[in-house]
Amino acid sequence: MREPFGGLILNIAFRMLVPFTIVYGIYVLCLGEFSPGGGFQAGALLSVGVLLSRMIMGENAKFNVAGKTSVVLAGVGTFLYTFTGWLTLFGGGRFLEYDFMPIHMEPMHEMHAMAIFLIEIGVAVCVMMTIINLMDAIIKRGDEDGSSK
Amino acid sequence: MQIYIIEAVLLIFLILITCAVIFCKDILSAAIIYSAFSFCAVLLYLMMGAPDVAFTEAVIGTISTIFFVASLKKIDRWCK
Repeated sequence: MREPFGGLILNIAFRMLVPFTIVYGIYVLCLGEFSPGGGFQAGALLSVGVLLSRMIMGENAKFNVAGKTSVVLAGVGTFLYTFTGWLTLFGGGRFLEYDFMPIHMEPMHEMHAMAIFLIEIGVAVCVMMTIINLMDAIIKRGDEDGSSK
Repeated sequence: MQIYIIEAVLLIFLILITCAVIFCKDILSAAIIYSAFSFCAVLLYLMMGAPDVAFTEAVIGTISTIFFVASLKKIDRWCK
């Protein structure tokens, strides 16, 4: 949005909601292996936080991510996923075979959880930035057509 | 037995909400009613024992509502 959201009650309600949404997104990301949730849900929650803060504050929001940056960061998220697979390749296993991670931890399932966490960070970053980029495309297309006020 | 009754009530709600979305002339209220559809779907998924899907549906319902409202700022609110 170019201009703030309008309305005192909506502004303050959403302003109180944004930090809790972002913290809950990080919680879902970190506990994705043991509980419902995971990379996709965490990325969607984080993007909800960013979108809400952008709708409230307009262009000068604290958690704003610009359009071009979001495209680049979506690629970085995909690269994180692939890089975890390459790590296991370099360790001597197959693609995403977690037994062959270069970092050795004593219980095997700890290492599996570590590798799955790396992958989920990649998925979360990719989903978050893709949703932000979609929102950016929706807003920008209206501006280019001249249909906005 | 009671769980089936609640499930049937939720399914009837889903059908009613869908009819309301289709026949609504105000696009903004159609978007808001559609979020109610998403909420009923969340409850149904929870009763069927799929909390993961329910969580995803809740988050995606919120995001799609934000998208609808954001794109509604660019077009006319009432359908002819």
